[in-house]
Amino acid sequence: MKRWSMKHVASSLAAAAILTLNAGGTVSAAEPPANFPKQPVTIEIWWHEYGPFTAYVKELIEAYKKVRPNVTINPVVTSSGDINQKLTVALATGTGPDIMDQDASFYELYYAKGVLEPLNLDVFGAKSYDEVAARYTPGGLAAATFGGKIYALPYQGNSMSLFISNKAFAEAGLNPVKDAPKTWNDMIALGPKLKKVQGTRTVQKAFDFPYHSPRWEIQMFQPLVEQFGGRLLSADGKRAYINSPEAVKALTLWRDVTKVTGDPKTTMNTPSNPNQDFIDGRTAMWVTGPWATSQIQQSQVKDAFTVVSYPQVDPAKPHTIVYGWMWGVNKAKPEAQKIVAWDFIRFMLAKPDDWLAKVAFVQPVKGVNETAVAKNFPFFDVHMKDVATATWYIRSEYTNEIGQAVGRAIERTVYDGMEPKASLDQAQAEVDKVLKKAAP
Amino acid sequence: MTAPASSKDRAVSVPAVRGVRWSLASKQAAFGVAIIVPTLGILAIFRFLPMVQALYLSLTEYDLVHPPKFAGLANFASLLQDPLFLKSARVSLMYVLFSVVPVIPLSLGLAALFNRPLWLRNVLRSAVFMPVVMPAVVMAVVWTFMYQQDGVVNTILSWFGVDPVPWLRSSATSLWAVILIGIWRATPYYMVIFLAGLQAIPADYYDAAQMDGAGTWATFWHITLPLLRPTLLLVIVMNVIVAMKVFAVPLIMTGGGPADSTRVLPLFIYQTAFEFFDMGRAAAMSVFLFVAVMLFSFVQVRLFTRQDDNR
Amino acid sequence: MTNATGTVGPRAPAKRPAGSWRTLRKRQGSIVAFIVLAGVACVTLLPFYWMASSSLRTMETMFSLPIQWIPDPPNWKAYVLAWKAQDFSRYLLNSGFVAVAITLSNLLLCSLAGYSLTKFRYRGRGVMFLLILSTMMLPLEVTMVPLFLIIKKLEWANTYQGLIVPFLVDGFGVFLMRQYMLSIPNDIIDSARIDGASELRIFWMIVLPLCKPALVALAVFTFREAWDMYIWPLIIITKDSLRTLPLGISLFMSSYGTSWDQLMAIAVIGTLPMILLFFFLQRAFIQGIAATGLKE
Repeated sequence: MKRWSMKHVASSLAAAAILTLNAGGTVSAAEPPANFPKQPVTIEIWWHEYGPFTAYVKELIEAYKKVRPNVTINPVVTSSGDINQKLTVALATGTGPDIMDQDASFYELYYAKGVLEPLNLDVFGAKSYDEVAARYTPGGLAAATFGGKIYALPYQGNSMSLFISNKAFAEAGLNPVKDAPKTWNDMIALGPKLKKVQGTRTVQKAFDFPYHSPRWEIQMFQPLVEQFGGRLLSADGKRAYINSPEAVKALTLWRDVTKVTGDPKTTMNTPSNPNQDFIDGRTAMWVTGPWATSQIQQSQVKDAFTVVSYPQVDPAKPHTIVYGWMWGVNKAKPEAQKIVAWDFIRFMLAKPDDWLAKVAFVQPVKGVNETAVAKNFPFFDVHMKDVATATWYIRSEYTNEIGQAVGRAIERTVYDGMEPKASLDQAQAEVDKVLKKAAP
Repeated sequence: MTAPASSKDRAVSVPAVRGVRWSLASKQAAFGVAIIVPTLGILAIFRFLPMVQALYLSLTEYDLVHPPKFAGLANFASLLQDPLFLKSARVSLMYVLFSVVPVIPLSLGLAALFNRPLWLRNVLRSAVFMPVVMPAVVMAVVWTFMYQQDGVVNTILSWFGVDPVPWLRSSATSLWAVILIGIWRATPYYMVIFLAGLQAIPADYYDAAQMDGAGTWATFWHITLPLLRPTLLLVIVMNVIVAMKVFAVPLIMTGGGPADSTRVLPLFIYQTAFEFFDMGRAAAMSVFLFVAVMLFSFVQVRLFTRQDDNR
Repeated sequence: MTNATGTVGPRAPAKRPAGSWRTLRKRQGSIVAFIVLAGVACVTLLPFYWMASSSLRTMETMFSLPIQWIPDPPNWKAYVLAWKAQDFSRYLLNSGFVAVAITLSNLLLCSLAGYSLTKFRYRGRGVMFLLILSTMMLPLEVTMVPLFLIIKKLEWANTYQGLIVPFLVDGFGVFLMRQYMLSIPNDIIDSARIDGASELRIFWMIVLPLCKPALVALAVFTFREAWDMYIWPLIIITKDSLRTLPLGISLFMSSYGTSWDQLMAIAVIGTLPMILLFFFLQRAFIQGIAATGLKE
């Protein structure tokens, strides 16, 4: 990537001149970068199934054919539950795709294993990684940057906010905007007003924490710990603070909120659909991301919902979470294919407002909130406000082990009544063992 | 049976000249070997070779990306001190024990009930057999649905005054919920094998027994059961192997939770390999599984074949 | 088998109750058996009913309380939507082709191997049997990567061969056929040999027909296992045109929201071929019973 041509310089100048919200770079789509292969090239791209997402990526593949006629792109769509295993075996046997799609928390692991190709600066018409990063919101590429280089680009960075059922609030004589909880104490106070019990059955929960996967459990637990002033992992990811006093406070709060607002035994939420209870009207309040908007609108809830900021321990010091999915390029592929792969990623990400309009995915790029689509997107300002105070989902080579250990600790306390401290001590011991294995 | 080198050719009963007998016997043996060769070839390439490689991987440190590094017995040593592994092994053992033991009398009992005249026998047999034809993914999804707090199972239980059971939502009940559907699916499976075995028993034996005036129970105990020995061996060994390898159902229904209460060994092996990228350790875990099942099967086969050989 | 008569012989003579008393008891036994089996049938059929009825519910009534036993009004839309969402006719064809090929091959190879292991004596037979048994004892999760490397070397990724050939024969089938053939008396085979029948003919004309119940059982199980096959196709197939049905079903379980009605509709569609096959084989099964001359 050291070769610099006049064409390249020209395009970078153009990039500097035109300030767009074009996240993928500003090289004109019609004009391939200097080192772009002229011969026919075929690349394979894998992504996880989600109706609107699949439709949009397929549309992008068709559009790309028109500007790069010598490129053939083979799409492979796999369900989200299976893509990890398929990708892992493929990487292990050298048969992986050129472009991979994976949850952001996996990239630290992939980087450690050396399977990722760094972003091709020529293709993006940038002189440095900082230049690319400058197009993103602060911290937008935090989960994709290792050792000063960018190794992946997110197509969705999901903040988490509180979704409220207008119907449930109205039935309880509450106003979804005015009476919305700002703190966890507000939440506890609202619990009895919104929770409905018939005999032994909980018919409606006021609020529910997620239990259907360790991933979602961490998505709720991590910001709670941070709101108490703690953290789960050290900055270098080498030490864990699972049983810190802040974490114990967080788990105690989790348990106490659940007692008043929810019923962990009554849930239809599954990894296949985390929002099931909310769209069925079994939960009055539920924390989820902007991507859920279209699903909720298409359900019986329709537009009768309100989104407010993530509840806090102290609203003066807000902490929320962001997680996402990213595109990465397989290092093991021939050079020409890797250039094409990055070029197609740049092409795909070029229109953040289309991503928002067609898939309801929010790219963490600057200026996305200025677009017409964003202005019409329900509660977009709330999502932007929450993403501004967000930390990325814990990143470590051992995210999966840590996630499972913490998930188990939560379940021990909520389902089996174990004391938060004892439960987290056990998780800490489990995680320490894993981290020790890493640094002998 | 297991010591063929020294055994005599009991299957070949052609008398007369020694030479003729030998050539006939070896010709027959050659045919016998020839017809098993395709099976051995396919199994050698697609089962045995990968198996040997997997066993080798248990002695290595292998992250699925970099080449495996030889590590001796390190994986095994660390596993024996890992409470998570021991917990998972315990869950697996519970699963095997409680999903195998009830299935044998249940499936044999059902087969025996169906092996007699009965009103609507064919309809009932088809109905009872149905769980076998339900694909595993479908079964896991449908039962998850039915096990919900306000689901079908609890609704039916409420007719009998039973309070709602938090089937998949409590460490105390989740394993039992998974075991119950294991039994639901396995019982008809083995019922059919027992039925096939029952049908291989010549009717003369029953006639003779009836002549002697034996009751149903006596006939079953003294004639049916001894003659079912080969089938019994098959069912016990298969049942244990299948139960030891159960994977898709807990994965889809509980993901191993809550709090690890349903994380059977194959599920932990899967997570260790593909979520924690530690194939060496995963392979070492499966060696424990392999040795356990192999020992059990070997003992069973020995136990059952010794008597078969003395027929 | 030869000691079977021995078991019958020394049994203590039982009391002989009066004829009418006996028939009454028999009839009572039948009624009890019928009630027990009808109860069992309800348990075995309930999930099927629940699956089918849920596919006809609307999303609004899917989780309504108290539960709605009969979908009212039935909603057939899910079938149309689900069928259109993916190329299911293609997936069904692929699954059917793969399962039929694997089943036919297993029927032949497993019965040949079982025959060899029971009715012929040669050096190493016992060891061979244990080796075949051992191939069933490691979970696919650990052998998958080595197996995939073999398939890759053969250049069979993304082919029907890759889906079919590794499963042409299975230890379970060999085990099943061996155990069943143990009960076939050797005399039948010996007398055919004396009559001058060729070995192949004996196998085809005498042994196989006697194995009918076991073959039917093996066919149902092998077909189901092949129809169920999930992780292997997931790993080796990247072409949409080669996808099998379970992969299609899993596409419905996306992390952004599952349409339960459509998922249930596809589950019904995915289960139907198995049910049809079973009813087809069920007739052969009953004929098998008649053929072996069991007293009805």
